[in-house]
Amino acid sequence: MNAIASARDLITRNLRQSGILVAFVAIVAVFALLNPMFLSATNLTNIVLQYTYILILAIGMVMIIVAGQIDLSVGSVVALTGAVSAVVVVKNGMPWWAGVLAALVVGLLVGAWQGFWVAYVGIPGFIVTLAGMLLFRGLTYVVLDNISISPFGKPYYDIANGFLNGLFGGYGYDVFTLVIFAIGVVGYAVAQWRGRQSKISYHQSVESMPLFVAKLVVVAAVVMWFAYKLATYRGLPVVLIILAVLTIGYTLVTQKSVFGRHVYAVGGNRHAAELSGVKVRKVNFWIFVNMGLLAAVAGVVYSSRMNAAQPGAGNMFELDAIAACFIGGASTSGGVGRVGGAIIGGLIMAVISNGMQLMGVSTSIQPIVKGLVLLLAVAFDIYNRRRAAALR
Amino acid sequence: MNGRTPLLSLREVSRFFGAVEALVDVDLDVHAHEVVALVGDNGAGKSTLAQIVAGVLTPSSGQLEIDGEPVTISSPSAANRLGVASVFQDLAVAENLDVTANVYLGQELSRRGFLREGEMEETTRDLLRHLTVRIPSVRTPLSQLSAGQRQAVAIARTLIGSPRIVVLDEPTAALSVAQTAEVLTHIQKLRDLGLGVILISHNLNDVRAVADRVEVLRHGRNNGSFAATASHEEILAAITGAP
Repeated sequence: MNAIASARDLITRNLRQSGILVAFVAIVAVFALLNPMFLSATNLTNIVLQYTYILILAIGMVMIIVAGQIDLSVGSVVALTGAVSAVVVVKNGMPWWAGVLAALVVGLLVGAWQGFWVAYVGIPGFIVTLAGMLLFRGLTYVVLDNISISPFGKPYYDIANGFLNGLFGGYGYDVFTLVIFAIGVVGYAVAQWRGRQSKISYHQSVESMPLFVAKLVVVAAVVMWFAYKLATYRGLPVVLIILAVLTIGYTLVTQKSVFGRHVYAVGGNRHAAELSGVKVRKVNFWIFVNMGLLAAVAGVVYSSRMNAAQPGAGNMFELDAIAACFIGGASTSGGVGRVGGAIIGGLIMAVISNGMQLMGVSTSIQPIVKGLVLLLAVAFDIYNRRRAAALR
Repeated sequence: MNGRTPLLSLREVSRFFGAVEALVDVDLDVHAHEVVALVGDNGAGKSTLAQIVAGVLTPSSGQLEIDGEPVTISSPSAANRLGVASVFQDLAVAENLDVTANVYLGQELSRRGFLREGEMEETTRDLLRHLTVRIPSVRTPLSQLSAGQRQAVAIARTLIGSPRIVVLDEPTAALSVAQTAEVLTHIQKLRDLGLGVILISHNLNDVRAVADRVEVLRHGRNNGSFAATASHEEILAAITGAP
């Protein structure tokens, strides 16, 4: 009785978040049933390699959307940063890290440029980044002189295509991968446990012990199963480590830091935030700088993945990243959304694309399905908000 | 009035918006343990005055003093540092954030940039208890609270950083009768805690229920000072300028 009540409470309390998670699990289950190849080690690894750059963009984008802005330029910034990196590494023969560094610096400059116009001149982010989309695409053509530059060569290529494998040996599977994931699971469990303890010490309601343990066991089982799949194929993809570090880091920044709190406040009620002493301009400036940096990371990963810098790279990436945020529960009016939600939203898009490709669905049908998913996700969000307003 | 140095005094404060005279040579004193009501018709300059005290606007001329010392209040955070906290007219809270986050907004407790949630929750709970505010949990998002509860949170947030002067701009404007009564109790609690309160309101009944003194503004100028015992008609006459 009590356990059921607390389970129901857990679900209704986080319907927006958990609804997305349930949808994700359902979509994975459907594709797994339709095609046994879907959950194979090879395909799971492919999903990780193919869509990481969208997820990296979605992390920055969700912060922008929470603050009530939008960034349409990230696809062009991915292209520009990749192009700069290629010129440094391929044309000038500099080492791989010089290319990465150059890309990150360009990303920061782009972010500062757009942040300046949004925060200090007061032009809406939509307009500034629409201009940026054209501007940085054009600059990409200039930097690349209208042609693709390739190949990057080994160390750079491994950023997006490399694996950590065989560090601890193993018998048909990579022990190192399993160890890393196990550390992650233990860390997650400890963090959850400490969160629960501190909630109890402040007299807040928590889910019952059996439910709490059950939740941890399910999460641990799924994660370790995924780790085992990766371990039996090629090991731990380097990009997965990059993505994990970014996801954990930005979850902490958005949920636990003063800056993160201020981002939510600006998106929730800009006027109230300003009167409360939140430095709204500074917040707006830094979220765009941050987006520029993450777009550069995505640019590096994408150019590495393609082993080339192309003038047309990153086309429409901004829309995938924005869709990931909204599917992941971000609100169109700002103030609501989470990094974890955006990641799951991005994974839903990734799984749908990959699943349809695997089943040989024609390329003309794929965007139709993705468009409908986006529409339904936002409709669900609006329906939830109306219901919440009616309950009040 | 009683020989003590006022907590806050305004001396001949004026504020112009271009050619518009929003405030002209206004004087105002607020003492500790005192609720001063500021009344006046629309456009009489009440909100302008509140915003000057809160640091949102700077006066075009005139002097502000806190404890008899001249001060300039250049921003809301400067006001906070000087011990002045404000609640603005239009329910100035972020509905997407929970009670604790709103109470501490802009003044978060942190260690190396990261929030100290536990301490903030505890203090918030204490504050709400002092004000006898009933709210399900300090982690409830504001979007799930009634307008009266939200206003109570807005009043509670003024107490962070132990201010000495609280400015309330139309705190009861959007509220039902029962909610208004509740908010008026909170205002009395603020006085009992020893604060000086500036209460801006349209509603003379509210004002006479809690204020110790009523100051009238008309066309941006002082137009009479009344004890709380003054009759409705007397105050109304000063507001409308009737002879």
